[in-house]
Amino acid sequence: MRGKPLLLALFVAGCSKGPDADLQYIGEARSAAAEWALVNDQAAQGRLSGAYVTSMHKWLRDDLQTSLSSLTERNSVYGAEIQALLLQPDDAAPEALRAHAARLKQIEDSLESA
Amino acid sequence: MNPLELTLGIMTAVGGFVDISELVFAAKAGSTFGYALIWAFALATIGIIVFSEMSGRVAAVAHQPVFSLMRHRLGLKLGLVTLAASMIANLITCAAELGGVALILNYMTGAPYLLMAVLMALVMVVSIWILPFEWIERIYGLLGLFMLVFAAALIAIHPPWHQIAAGFVPHIPAGLSTKEMLKFGYFVVAITSAVMFPYEVYFYSSGGIEEGWGIKDILTNRVTAILGMGLGSTLAIAILASSAQLFGAANVDPVIPGSAALEAAIPFGKWGLVVALLGMLFAVAGAAVETCLANAYSIAQFFGWIWGRHKKPWEAPRFTLTWITLFALALAIVVTGVDVMTLVEFAILFSILVLPLTYLPLLLLAGDKKYMGKHVNGPLAKILGWLYFAIITAAALAAIPLYILTSGGNS
Amino acid sequence: MTPDSPIKLVSELLDLPLYDSEQKYCGVVDDVELKGGPGKDLELVALLAGPGAYKTRLPGWAMWLVGKIAGDRVTRIPMEKVRSIDTVVNLECPGRDLGLHRTEIAAGNWIPRWGAL
Repeated sequence: MRGKPLLLALFVAGCSKGPDADLQYIGEARSAAAEWALVNDQAAQGRLSGAYVTSMHKWLRDDLQTSLSSLTERNSVYGAEIQALLLQPDDAAPEALRAHAARLKQIEDSLESA
Repeated sequence: MNPLELTLGIMTAVGGFVDISELVFAAKAGSTFGYALIWAFALATIGIIVFSEMSGRVAAVAHQPVFSLMRHRLGLKLGLVTLAASMIANLITCAAELGGVALILNYMTGAPYLLMAVLMALVMVVSIWILPFEWIERIYGLLGLFMLVFAAALIAIHPPWHQIAAGFVPHIPAGLSTKEMLKFGYFVVAITSAVMFPYEVYFYSSGGIEEGWGIKDILTNRVTAILGMGLGSTLAIAILASSAQLFGAANVDPVIPGSAALEAAIPFGKWGLVVALLGMLFAVAGAAVETCLANAYSIAQFFGWIWGRHKKPWEAPRFTLTWITLFALALAIVVTGVDVMTLVEFAILFSILVLPLTYLPLLLLAGDKKYMGKHVNGPLAKILGWLYFAIITAAALAAIPLYILTSGGNS
Repeated sequence: MTPDSPIKLVSELLDLPLYDSEQKYCGVVDDVELKGGPGKDLELVALLAGPGAYKTRLPGWAMWLVGKIAGDRVTRIPMEKVRSIDTVVNLECPGRDLGLHRTEIAAGNWIPRWGAL
């Protein structure tokens, strides 16, 4: 049945640990951080409605939380970055958020080329 | 050909083209691979044009929708398998669209997601109950024309048009790693599935019967399919291209449907955002209505019940009870709290697996002189029909391996 | 094709839509009733519609499921009532004379009759 190969793959994926297994979540967190920065940037320029900004903040935070929970190595450098991101206020400065995103991107790139 | 009817038909098709899956995958494709996947949208659009034209022609000439004749061509057992498979695919798709609508309302108003899902399900059930068929199609489709803001937004950000044009040529970008190549393949399969969702052909052909199409409408059908879907696909491509420029450069890989609205906010500010969200709302709501009705059509036609919204709800009671139950089921799926993106991924996966079984009877019917007389498939329809059948069969076979190998396109 | 043509047309007959004399859609040919046996000529006696009819063409587990959900009803259409058969089966009389759509009418009692434009 269709479910079996999926379950098998998930099992295999779940069994692997370490930075390589976390690569997907590092990328997701990087993207969420970059988008958060973009949203705050546009909001500061008055281009977005309040409801939209509040909503996007909530969903992006959810995403970051999910990425963090999915990590196999939470006490890593990238784990710490994501936790630091989650501590940021909703209306954090875009530059600060981009800095986190850039660091995550560096980690992502170095893992991918390894 | 009545020019007003034709124009309305085309505009309805344009406004209704984009659904939640195309929205999400266009944005993801643009940010991940730049303009390199434009050809996938274009190719899949030609496919849906070919099969929509065919299903409309079958409805106009044989006065039978696809699923009625499907049982006869495939036989009871295979027909039942197809029905069950397409029911599951359409139900998941409907749940994804309903979740998408709730999300968009949340972006617009901040109101709770689950509450909006329940509210919108009720609104859609009431709208299908009260309105005659043409009005249902027209209202959701024409209001979906707010999506045109995405085309305007693309023009406003002065994209590299020559690169966009180059994107229309089928190619695989150079220098991709194996992992990226697999992801590219997954995106091609996903885009093919999203553009050619099975519910579209069921809805289109049953819709043709609802509107009482006859032989005189064959040309209208052809023009509506070509222009309506062709122009509609440019909206999806505009979302992709804007994403390539705005998100790709910013290291954003949008996974939230709301991200697409930024593409209109960046050039146009608040009003651009509002118009984009409105367009998304009606386009996705229209898709929710279509997937639900398409499922109800399939079930009623297969079992020989009276069907159609051209009849009053009490004149086709089992059909009415079916579409209401289907909405309730879709709502139940959404209320479990499963992520809309997950629903989209499963909708795409199940749909591509069902597509070959969906299109095969249609292809056989449209090529059968006994049903079609002189309006049988000509050489062009035959060649394109079988070519696309081969393409979707290949995509269906590749779908599960690619999904697993790329962790659902997220690797 | 007329109703008294040879039996090889049975497979072409199954699952065809039924239309009555008022051109109203009446369901699908779910099975056929044959008379005769080994060594004798087979004769097409009637068309059958309803879950009781198509149930027997399904595998065992599906038969049970359909029986539970849809029931066992079979509506019998004698071949004399069939006017012609081409891409659909055309009947000589209105569907209600044969008892087609009984379930539909019963289901109709569940639906409120207001609100629709």
